[in-house]
Amino acid sequence: MQEETSTQELKDRVALIECMIAEGRRSTESWGWTFLLWGVAYYVAIGWEAMGQRLAIWGGNGLAWPVTMIAAVVVTILIAFRKDNGQPETTVGRAVVSIWISVGISMLLLFPALSIAGRIDGHGFVAIVGAVLGIANGASGMILRWRMQVACAVVWWITSVAACFGSQAQVTVVFLTALFLCQIAFGAYAMILESRRRQNREAHA
Amino acid sequence: MPELPDLNPVIHGKLRLALLSLLTTVEEAEFTWLRARTGSTDGNLGAQLARLEEAGYVAVEKKFVQRKPQTLYRMTEAGRTALTEYVQALKQLLGESINV
Repeated sequence: MQEETSTQELKDRVALIECMIAEGRRSTESWGWTFLLWGVAYYVAIGWEAMGQRLAIWGGNGLAWPVTMIAAVVVTILIAFRKDNGQPETTVGRAVVSIWISVGISMLLLFPALSIAGRIDGHGFVAIVGAVLGIANGASGMILRWRMQVACAVVWWITSVAACFGSQAQVTVVFLTALFLCQIAFGAYAMILESRRRQNREAHA
Repeated sequence: MPELPDLNPVIHGKLRLALLSLLTTVEEAEFTWLRARTGSTDGNLGAQLARLEEAGYVAVEKKFVQRKPQTLYRMTEAGRTALTEYVQALKQLLGESINV
């Protein structure tokens, strides 16, 4: 009897270790909103650029991308600070956030430089954005073992290759479709998942 | 017959084992986060963390963030080694039938 209790106690300890490791890895971070925000920001910039070109309003089309992108960066930083809920940093979380910060910095430096130097056109822009977002979504999806995000990476890679062919109008349609699927739809889907996870946690608390 | 290993008494306590297991998953954690995850009281949690700190298994850092005091706990290398040895000992005692 003593031996059985002892074995049971040891098994309880094993179960406790497994349970606590799972609990520690369970993240309460929510990043779905960033996909949605950046998807909307891209749509605003593209729309502003198109309208500005036609109507010569809002400073023409030259301000569309810099103003929208800088505003999106500021809003992202402000919301991220507000949402910081004391969740400790995990290695996985830091890896994913590092990828996205590096991607963001690369794009914010590269595109203005290419634009100022006059060495970018619509095809090149979409090809680079597609490739870079493919890398970020692919790496992040593989780290998190999240098939839906890897699927987004595949869409971006296809967009990147497709941007090398076809007319400007076709490339724009492909880019807008990828933005809708991988930023707006995926962001909304991630937010719904995060909300359900939060509700489940509160129900079990 | 090989001699069965002894289990480290500092780690064997339920709450202390839970705390070390939690701390393996994060870089560092706040007192309040550990309390929420383990469901323990402030007094008990503080006492067990003090015991782990005394043993050199966790390191404590106190700081102020936006004028609010914050106590952060981080697992030390000695703590990681001790937990690994504890799990090895558990495996041996249970006949290698576990997978942690």
